[in-house]
Amino acid sequence: MEQNPYLPIKMRLIKNLVETEDRNINTFTLEFLNKQDEENFKYLPGQFAEISAFGHGEAPFGIATSPTEPGILKFSVAKVGCVSNALHLMEEGTMVGVRGPMGNSYPIEDFKGKNVVIIGGGFAFTTLRSLAVYMMDEKHRADYGDITVIYGARNPGLLLYKDELAEWETNPNINLVTTIDKECDGWCQRVGFIPTITEQVAPSSVNSYAVVCGPPVMIKYTLPVLEKLNFPPERIITSLEMRMKCGLGICGRCNIGTEYVCKDGPVFTMAQLKELPSEY
Amino acid sequence: MNNIINDIRETARQLLADGKVDVVIGYEKGSLPLKATPCFVRSAQEVDRLIWDETCENNLASFVANTPGKKAIIAKGCDSRSLVVLIQENQLLRDDVYIIGVSCPGVVNKRKIEAEIGEILEATIAEGTISVKGMEGSKEYSFADVKDATCQTCRYPNPVIEDIHMGVTIEVSQSTPFADVIEMENKPDSERQAYFNQQMSKCIRCYACRNACPMCYCPECFVDCNSPKWLTGGVNRAENLMFQAGRVLHLAGRCVDCGACARACPQDVDIRAMNRKSAKDVLVMYHHEAGISETIKPALNEFSADDPEAFLVKE
Amino acid sequence: MKISKEKFGQSFDALAAEYKTIAPVSDAAGVVNYEAVESFSEVKQNYLNSKLPPKSFFFPQHEKLLSYVKEGKDVTVKNELKVEKTILFGVRPCDAKAFLLLDTVFKNDMFTDPYYFERRDNTVVIGVACNKIAPTCFCSSMGFSPASSAGADIFLIDLGDSYQVEILTEKGKALAAVFPELVELTVEDQTLVDTIKSAQTTSQVDVSTITSKLEKFFDHSYWDTLQEKCIGCNSCTFSCPTCHCFDISEEVRNNKGSRVRTWDGCMAPLFTLHASGHNPRDKKKSRWRQRMMHKFNYFVHNSGDISCVGCGRCIKSCPVNLDIRQVIDGVNKAELVVN
Repeated sequence: MEQNPYLPIKMRLIKNLVETEDRNINTFTLEFLNKQDEENFKYLPGQFAEISAFGHGEAPFGIATSPTEPGILKFSVAKVGCVSNALHLMEEGTMVGVRGPMGNSYPIEDFKGKNVVIIGGGFAFTTLRSLAVYMMDEKHRADYGDITVIYGARNPGLLLYKDELAEWETNPNINLVTTIDKECDGWCQRVGFIPTITEQVAPSSVNSYAVVCGPPVMIKYTLPVLEKLNFPPERIITSLEMRMKCGLGICGRCNIGTEYVCKDGPVFTMAQLKELPSEY
Repeated sequence: MNNIINDIRETARQLLADGKVDVVIGYEKGSLPLKATPCFVRSAQEVDRLIWDETCENNLASFVANTPGKKAIIAKGCDSRSLVVLIQENQLLRDDVYIIGVSCPGVVNKRKIEAEIGEILEATIAEGTISVKGMEGSKEYSFADVKDATCQTCRYPNPVIEDIHMGVTIEVSQSTPFADVIEMENKPDSERQAYFNQQMSKCIRCYACRNACPMCYCPECFVDCNSPKWLTGGVNRAENLMFQAGRVLHLAGRCVDCGACARACPQDVDIRAMNRKSAKDVLVMYHHEAGISETIKPALNEFSADDPEAFLVKE
Repeated sequence: MKISKEKFGQSFDALAAEYKTIAPVSDAAGVVNYEAVESFSEVKQNYLNSKLPPKSFFFPQHEKLLSYVKEGKDVTVKNELKVEKTILFGVRPCDAKAFLLLDTVFKNDMFTDPYYFERRDNTVVIGVACNKIAPTCFCSSMGFSPASSAGADIFLIDLGDSYQVEILTEKGKALAAVFPELVELTVEDQTLVDTIKSAQTTSQVDVSTITSKLEKFFDHSYWDTLQEKCIGCNSCTFSCPTCHCFDISEEVRNNKGSRVRTWDGCMAPLFTLHASGHNPRDKKKSRWRQRMMHKFNYFVHNSGDISCVGCGRCIKSCPVNLDIRQVIDGVNKAELVVN
């Protein structure tokens, strides 16, 4: 019999880190218990996993680590529901369940030889981090052209991965632009909403892909900017969220038209989304 | 009955033509014999869709809050009592609804007929006689013999609140109220338990009862709440009883005994039995019946220091 | 070829000792449902169809997927998949056809659902043709008929005191090894078989163009009013032999718990509600549209067939008489407004 896709593997929570100043988002670092589990969990940037907090339930979260970071998986999770609340309160060393990897990934093969513009807002930066780290890895960096990251949050305290961002500031492999919604003391980067900043930065659409993740309103106003910059819909990529249960394209709740976000997504091009009902 | 429908249609036509309401919520002929279906009439040209007979079994009050615009509703006695409760609980403004009251002779229990003669192929109702052709045979029924259980014990066939009344009023039968509850109370525990075990084991938790109930308007029902989780997804008689008993408690002093829950139940669970017991207790202990008057305060809205507390468990 | 009911009953009883055997049974009120039986004498004869569909034997309304025990920071997880060799007797053509549709759901291009398929693979389905057709049946419109054998391993036609027997699959053949020798049909038998095989449902709908019509129907105003009377319960989806949506939840007591799956349905607003509060199908309108689009369009794209078998159960169980045949007619008649 094939492997039972409902049975999670066990992983150890080795770090439960408060990620944002509002203490609403924590980053969980999970450690594989053995080589075999890690071997079986071959993933790419953009995929997600179902995490079990035993006693509370299971929920899907995007994988924030890159496959180039061995031995662990990281997830940055906002405290909104039953499972995420349980995870936030979880002691380090506790065993959690993990099913995955699930869903498709960002089209990293198509990105080869192209410039990639990553645009993220708020806590939707997790799988974008995975993508950036993957492309910046020394084994992969030569495969891609310019990597531009435009990342914004309401205030500096809400930016994820602050230490890493600081490192990216000076890293010649990546062009990082960070922004916050409103001016505040001590902030010396840009100020303004993502769509405005994207317009200012005006990344070239020539030989480029754009990957956009964030709150619906951010996506709504960023798309016209990208269109103006001549990014065709086939080269604008986004990742969708849906209420999911099985993660296997069976339980029936995460479909948009004929597509199951859990199995056929979560990554779609704008060209694909235009063909689907606007029900997400 | 036929005169009543002409009056209903004429009233609906006038209301729509004069722009007094945007929609009339009533009944039209259903796709199955002996089954009417709710309909929403929005133009004077459409009023002939409306019907009124012994097959109009749904409680239309459950549609009122979610139907946008000014509306008129065709209300039987029980439907009107539901409207009173909704108004008292601030779910509905009296001025937002025009009530076309109809005295109700009761609705037909289709299932009783089907149990005898199989699925119904054709049926006609005339002068208190229902002639039915079923898959297993044909039969004529006197309406009194196949009246829904709720209607057999109904003490409020006439609307308690209305803007216009259609037809004559109906005399209320003077039988002992809650005779069925008293009978159940007098049964030994084991027999009662066996009865409810058997009933609850039929429930498939489709929540048709809850959704058909005008009083079940909570945006999040306790059964759907996941923190805290009051119920598991288990479909067995214990969990089902928790659901049904929870509903009874939430409906205490509010249930108008329209029977919409029981008629909606695809599994024919006796949902009313527990609600009736609660209605009787509220009447006996607090002298209150839900929805019989706009001015009498609901039982749970009024406190008096000498309220009976017989149901409290004391150390 | 046929077998007398007496002899069939003896074989049935012998098999029932070896297999878990499920068959239609009538309760005191005359309601027929599939239940475990030990003897052919318990099996309801001459039934129309079961009140609830037999899908629950492959896809129970409530089932444990796994259980676990937490000890300190550690946890031990146990697979709860348990399967018995089963015979499912007396399945009507609509429900047998529904199994074929469910098969395409529980196995997709990437995953196979072991809970469903372990049961499915270990169950022999014995179908029985319909001798009686209810006024709400419309299988003849859905590409098969009250005497179609698709989905059955063994297919029977009730000839009164005997069954005509067709063995359709290897699973069926293995089981039929216990039957005594079959005998030839008489001329009268053959006439009866022909009558049953040529019977059609009296109720018909036209689904010939619905899939293509729905392609451009998502934003049609038809959905605005069609569902007004729907009360949003799940009696249609739970009584549907092809509806398969489910929820997964946790049942916990102290340090022990299990993960269970339970039937769910697209009519409930919570079905698609995100933890954030956002709900992509927040209106009855979008939920009814999903039900129709899924059955008559999306499913065709993903599985090659319409996901309705015309059993009529949803029509009979709907508290407000929202009749799917009328909804289909409504789609057929609605004018397409090209934007």
